[in-house]
Amino acid sequence: MNLAFANPGRFLAFIRIAIPWLTACGAILALIGFYAAFAFAPADYQQGETVRIMYIHVPSAWLSTACYGIMALSSIGTLVWRHPLADASAKSIAPIGAAFTFLCLLTGSLWGKPMWGTWWVWDARLTSVLVLFLIYCGILALWNAYEDPARAGRAAAVMTLVGAINLPIVKFSVDWWNTLHQPASVFRMGGPTIDKSMLWSLLIVAVGMTLLMMALHFAAMRNEILRRRVRTLSILAANIDLKRNV
Amino acid sequence: MFDDPHIGFILAAYLAGAFVFLGLLLWVIMDYNKQSRLLNALEASGTRRRSESEQK
Repeated sequence: MNLAFANPGRFLAFIRIAIPWLTACGAILALIGFYAAFAFAPADYQQGETVRIMYIHVPSAWLSTACYGIMALSSIGTLVWRHPLADASAKSIAPIGAAFTFLCLLTGSLWGKPMWGTWWVWDARLTSVLVLFLIYCGILALWNAYEDPARAGRAAAVMTLVGAINLPIVKFSVDWWNTLHQPASVFRMGGPTIDKSMLWSLLIVAVGMTLLMMALHFAAMRNEILRRRVRTLSILAANIDLKRNV
Repeated sequence: MFDDPHIGFILAAYLAGAFVFLGLLLWVIMDYNKQSRLLNALEASGTRRRSESEQK
């Protein structure tokens, strides 16, 4: 991104325009994708109609790791450049990533019961995604444990980067261990194994949900910038009151 | 599709998705309203950041 937007004031002006566009495009694409998933994509020859759950489960799974990737990159910005926007980005993406990870686990469970006969198995993919969710929860708790946002930011950034070791484990767990969860079927060497009639709908939903995630991230970043302004002004107001009383 | 024996699982998955998106949307909107209200109240009381005071 252009360095000019690294200034919080310019960034706020940019996202004022970007948020409505991202929301509108994301919502339209997601709705088109879901419509295609139900109206045009066929039922699976093994899973039957239950395959429809995949159109929400798979994008949620992708976004759960994508959000962590954004949080890890922002954490590098916090630790290396101590940039306030990197801090705001890392903090605001954490609840969004946790929500998508929760959705991924829940929809996976709702698919697993009719297909595998169980809500949950302790296989490597499911367990590593559960660990990802717990890491998100830990980072959210850490953000709330410190009163000073700069100190909280540095602590959360270190924890985020340590937790990033889980990302390749999530991705390659289905290759490294024998799992009940199926191996990668879209982003894999040799191309996707899903039929095009299903793949297009899935990709349209995924792009739509990604744009909505970006809109939510920008909106949450704006809130974080405002929260820090409120904090600064509250400290200034308290100092003025203190001087008056002395 | 609606006579599928697993329709309940499919509907539950999409309802969960709708709840998660609505929840995130509500969180962002309510937080924005709260922070804007606090900021406006502080600015109305005459408190300004040093950079803003110098501009005026």
